[in-house]
Amino acid sequence: MADTPVRLPRRDFVWRLARSAGVAPVVLGLLDGTLEALPKSEETDFAVLFASLAIEHEAIALYDLALARGLFPAGLRSYAIEFVGDHKGHRDTQIAIVDERGARAPEALASYPHGRLRGGDDALRACLDIEIAAQQAYLALNGQIRTRDYLLSAAFILVDEVRHMTVWQRVLGLKIY
Amino acid sequence: MSQRRALLKAALFAPVALALRPSSVEATDYASAAELFEAIDRLEADTAARLRRLGRAAPAARAFTASALADHERHRRLRARHRNRLGLGAAAVATATESEDASLAGLRAAQEALVYAHAEGFPALGDALAVHDLMANMVDLARQLTVIDLWIEREDARG
Repeated sequence: MADTPVRLPRRDFVWRLARSAGVAPVVLGLLDGTLEALPKSEETDFAVLFASLAIEHEAIALYDLALARGLFPAGLRSYAIEFVGDHKGHRDTQIAIVDERGARAPEALASYPHGRLRGGDDALRACLDIEIAAQQAYLALNGQIRTRDYLLSAAFILVDEVRHMTVWQRVLGLKIY
Repeated sequence: MSQRRALLKAALFAPVALALRPSSVEATDYASAAELFEAIDRLEADTAARLRRLGRAAPAARAFTASALADHERHRRLRARHRNRLGLGAAAVATATESEDASLAGLRAAQEALVYAHAEGFPALGDALAVHDLMANMVDLARQLTVIDLWIEREDARG
C-alpha cells in the first residue's frame, strides 16, 4: 500500500482502478479510448456490470474507511453517509441484475490502495477522485448497455455520481461552473 | 432529496422488484427518439425561462445562470446533430422567454424534470452515440441540479 495518495491524470486513474479490479480488456479499451464501441450483447452488459461493480466496491471501501476513522469534518459527515449509502444501493442493484441473468458478480477485493489518509482533506480528495472516476467510467460505458432496465438504472446511478462529485468539488473550493 | 427522487431511487435500484414498483413513480416510457427530443426541448425551455428570470432577479446568481444557459445552447446544437443523424425533423424554433417565477424551488423542480427526462429517455434512443452524447449533457444538468440543491440548503440554513 502506498504511503501517500498519488495524483494521476483522471483517465489514468480510471484505468488503473479498473485494471486493478480485474476489469475485462475490452472495457479497459473503452476507458482508455482505444475502443469506441462494443457489440450489443449479453457479454457486453456483463463486462459493463463487472467494471461498474469494481468501482462501486472500491468507493464503498474508501467511504467506509474514512467514516470509520472519523476523517470527514462534522458538517460533511452526513454527505459521506448519504453517498456511501448510494454506492451500496448501486452495488446491490447491479449485483441483483447479474444474479437475475444467472451469473456471479465479482466480490470486493480484500484491500484497496487508498494511500495514507492523514486527515479530512486527504479523505475528501480521495473521495472526489473516485467519484470522478465513477462518473467517467459510467459515461464511457453506459452507451454500450443493451437492456432497457439496466440502462435506466445506470443513468440514475450516473446522476448520483455527478451529485457526489459536485458536492466534493464545491466543498474543496473547486470551480464547478 | 425530493420525494420523487427518493421514490425513484428506491424503485429503480431494486430491479428484482420492478414488477412491484408503484405506478406513481413509474419512469416515463418514451415511445421514440422524436418524442424524447420534444420533451427535452420543452423542459429545457421551461428551465431556461426560469434561469433568465432568476439571473435578472438575483445578480449573485448570474454567473451560474449564464453558464447553465450556455450549456443549454451547446446541448441544443448537439441534439440538432443527432436529430439529423437519426433522420428526425428539426426542432421547433424556441423563443427565449422569461418565467414569472423566480423561486429556487421552481427552478429546482424544472431542472430535476429535465434531468429525469434524459435519464428516462435513453432506452428510446436506440443509438449508442446519441446515448453517450445525451448522457454527457445529462452530466452537465445533474451538476447544475446539485448546485441548485446546495444553494437551497444554504438558504435554508440561513433561515
